[in-house]
Amino acid sequence: QVGKGELRKIPVPANRYTPLKENWMKIFTPIVEHLQLQIRFNLKTRNVEIKTCQETKDLSALTKAADFVKAFILGFQVEDALALIRLDDLFLESFEVTDVKPLKGDHLSRAIGRIAGKGGKTKFTIENVTRTRIVLADTKIHILGSFQNIKMARTAICNLILGSPPSKVYGSIRAVASRAAERF
Amino acid sequence: LSVQDGLAADFRAMTKTLYDLNKGTNIVRGGPLKEMVIENFDEEQIWQQLELQNNAVLDFFKKSIARDAEDEDLCLLSDQEEDGSDEETSSDKELEDTIMEAETEQKSVYTKDKDKTKAKEKQSKLRESIMQKYSDEDSDIDFDIEALEQQAKTAKETTLKKKGRKSVVDDKFFKLAEMEAFLEHAEKEDKEEEEDDINYFEDIISDDEEEDSEEAKVKPIKSSRDVTYKDFFDSVDDDDDDGDDLVANDAEEDQEEEADSAIEEQNEESMSEFEDMDEMVEHMRIKEASKKVTFSLPNDSETEDVTEVQLEKSIDPSEIKSSFEKRQEKMSKKIKSLEEVLLEEKPWQLKGEVTAQKRPENSLLEETVLFDHAVRMAPVITEETTFQLEDIIKQRILDEAWDDVVPKEKPKEEAFEYKKRITLDHEKSKLSLAEIYEQEYMKLHQQKTEEEENPEHKEIQEMMDSLFQKLDALCNFHFTPKPPVPEVKIVSNLPAISVEEVAPVAVSDAALLAPEEIKEKNKAGDVKTDAEKTPTDKKRELRRKKLRKRMRIREKEKRQKLLEKMKPEQGTKLSKKAAAAKLKRLTKEGKASLLKDEGKDKALKSSQAFFSQLQDQVRMQIKDASKLKKKQKKEKALSVHKLKL
Repeated sequence: QVGKGELRKIPVPANRYTPLKENWMKIFTPIVEHLQLQIRFNLKTRNVEIKTCQETKDLSALTKAADFVKAFILGFQVEDALALIRLDDLFLESFEVTDVKPLKGDHLSRAIGRIAGKGGKTKFTIENVTRTRIVLADTKIHILGSFQNIKMARTAICNLILGSPPSKVYGSIRAVASRAAERF
Repeated sequence: LSVQDGLAADFRAMTKTLYDLNKGTNIVRGGPLKEMVIENFDEEQIWQQLELQNNAVLDFFKKSIARDAEDEDLCLLSDQEEDGSDEETSSDKELEDTIMEAETEQKSVYTKDKDKTKAKEKQSKLRESIMQKYSDEDSDIDFDIEALEQQAKTAKETTLKKKGRKSVVDDKFFKLAEMEAFLEHAEKEDKEEEEDDINYFEDIISDDEEEDSEEAKVKPIKSSRDVTYKDFFDSVDDDDDDGDDLVANDAEEDQEEEADSAIEEQNEESMSEFEDMDEMVEHMRIKEASKKVTFSLPNDSETEDVTEVQLEKSIDPSEIKSSFEKRQEKMSKKIKSLEEVLLEEKPWQLKGEVTAQKRPENSLLEETVLFDHAVRMAPVITEETTFQLEDIIKQRILDEAWDDVVPKEKPKEEAFEYKKRITLDHEKSKLSLAEIYEQEYMKLHQQKTEEEENPEHKEIQEMMDSLFQKLDALCNFHFTPKPPVPEVKIVSNLPAISVEEVAPVAVSDAALLAPEEIKEKNKAGDVKTDAEKTPTDKKRELRRKKLRKRMRIREKEKRQKLLEKMKPEQGTKLSKKAAAAKLKRLTKEGKASLLKDEGKDKALKSSQAFFSQLQDQVRMQIKDASKLKKKQKKEKALSVHKLKL
């Protein structure tokens, strides 16, 4: 059904090389078994390559697989990234701290610290309330989840960057989340 | 006495000629003989011929008198009589004589009464005969009649007043008084039974015209072809008269109309005769018209028109106008009046905004003014409304449907419960994202089934419990206690000392001290940040700071001095800091100079070190020397420069 053969390449940065090696089993199993795609890691180019084959039934499978691998490369856990394959309406959003407010030096570090919280507390709180997954990579922020939840999490993170204390952010996200929960 | 044959023959011839003449005129119809036959007839036969003629004449007279019986206004006057007598050429001398006799008898009789007497009838008959004979000259008679009427105006008025009773039913065409009069007359007629034949060609006087006696008189003479509107109806002017008008006005109008109608038929020969009369009439009319003007209402244009028309009529009696011309006149008059109204100053009602000064006093009270009510009118409270209200109240009381105020309850949500709803988990979630969504999905789909079962079960369970409890209490002699509810006991796993400690845990000294005691307030009162401070504030603070520092230093010095004085041994022992500070001060002042540590004192350990040191020293010397030279050169240069100048 699918065309001759489409290929997707996902580059792997050096810091993710080892985690990739460790989680390789967990990565390729669902791709190959559930999505019927071909996957390999090109050692020379340091790319993960995914290709369609004759057994591939779904056109969108390739995109899904690519997104899954990409999510893992960004820093998400395999189980969390796996949700991308299982659910259709999950998205991945990335932005930088400086996009929200131009911060430099110590301010930037403080902002990142605010987002993370002590021992990651704040980040986990946001994740739990909004049902998303957040990856804080230095100045880059990646959020994985459904559209509405991404929005909620993004608002919370932006508030933290702009300087509001975590307790306030908790209150706001709790209110929003309760409203969202009531609706459904 | 002897028979005078000659005279008798003459008489016979005379009678015959008279009889023939009479027959020739053909006024009296009937009568079998066309001409009298004298030859070879006895006196008796001649008499019989005459008798025949007389019978016919009598019949005729009866009829005519019956017709004239309605004429109440007939009155015999000497003038009339004279006129009548002058134009008398009747062959029936005896009849004439009798007529004359009647006339003379009733010369001064005024027949204004409604009740008809035979004399009057006779008189009317006579008059009728006279009129009959001189049909060509009706006009004269008419005017004579008018003259009569004029002179007997006052008497007329009395009768007219009687007749002119206004009733509610009166109309333009109908007058109750007239109708009654006519009915009475008719009744009388029936009694008398005058007519055998009905003359179809005679004009029958209608009820409407009873008032207008002249017209009634005139009518029978008119043929049906010459009848006009005026013969049947009063002119438009008359009907506008209100009760205000005197009855005399009616009389005047009648006269006027009659004059008009008479005018139309008149012969020009006799114009002069009654012009005088007309003038009198006009005079009267003008008076009445003027009177009318005073009586009529100012805004009633119609009556004005009426009066004007009447005036016009009276003014131009000579011209005979066609109906079209009259209409034109009326229109032009109306137009004139309208134009005058338009040119005039408008009444205050039409003048837009009118203040109280511009309109007559209390004139607004007479006006009905319309305006919009911007505010809803307050409800008018009548007995009915109160009854309605009371009924409603009673019904409400019976129904016990009170309108009590329901106290509003603020929905209080405990923070605990609120927090329970969304627990903030500060730890990393143990479930992955996929699993979370999975659970959610399952929840959504399973919720439906669960909800249906549980509430009903719960309800049933509760109901049963309560029921059984009640039953047990009623029927069981043994009291069965409530089933044991699992008690929740909270045990705090803390050391005993912390629990038993009596001392208050949360007491801070800060609370015991007032804030002013903690930090002194400004004289101004408010605490300012650096940004808010004005230059004066900053200077003030700086001064204070300096002052404080000065004071501190002085105190210190004093203490030092004291110390030195008191304990000279201790005083000499300066602290390191103080010594360094002193040294610094001295070097600044220039009293002491620091020596550089060139390291000459150190023992030279190696030859290399020694020679390097030596080299260094020489180099230094050279440098200094070169510096001096440079300086001298500079100075020299300067001097040369100066010299050149």
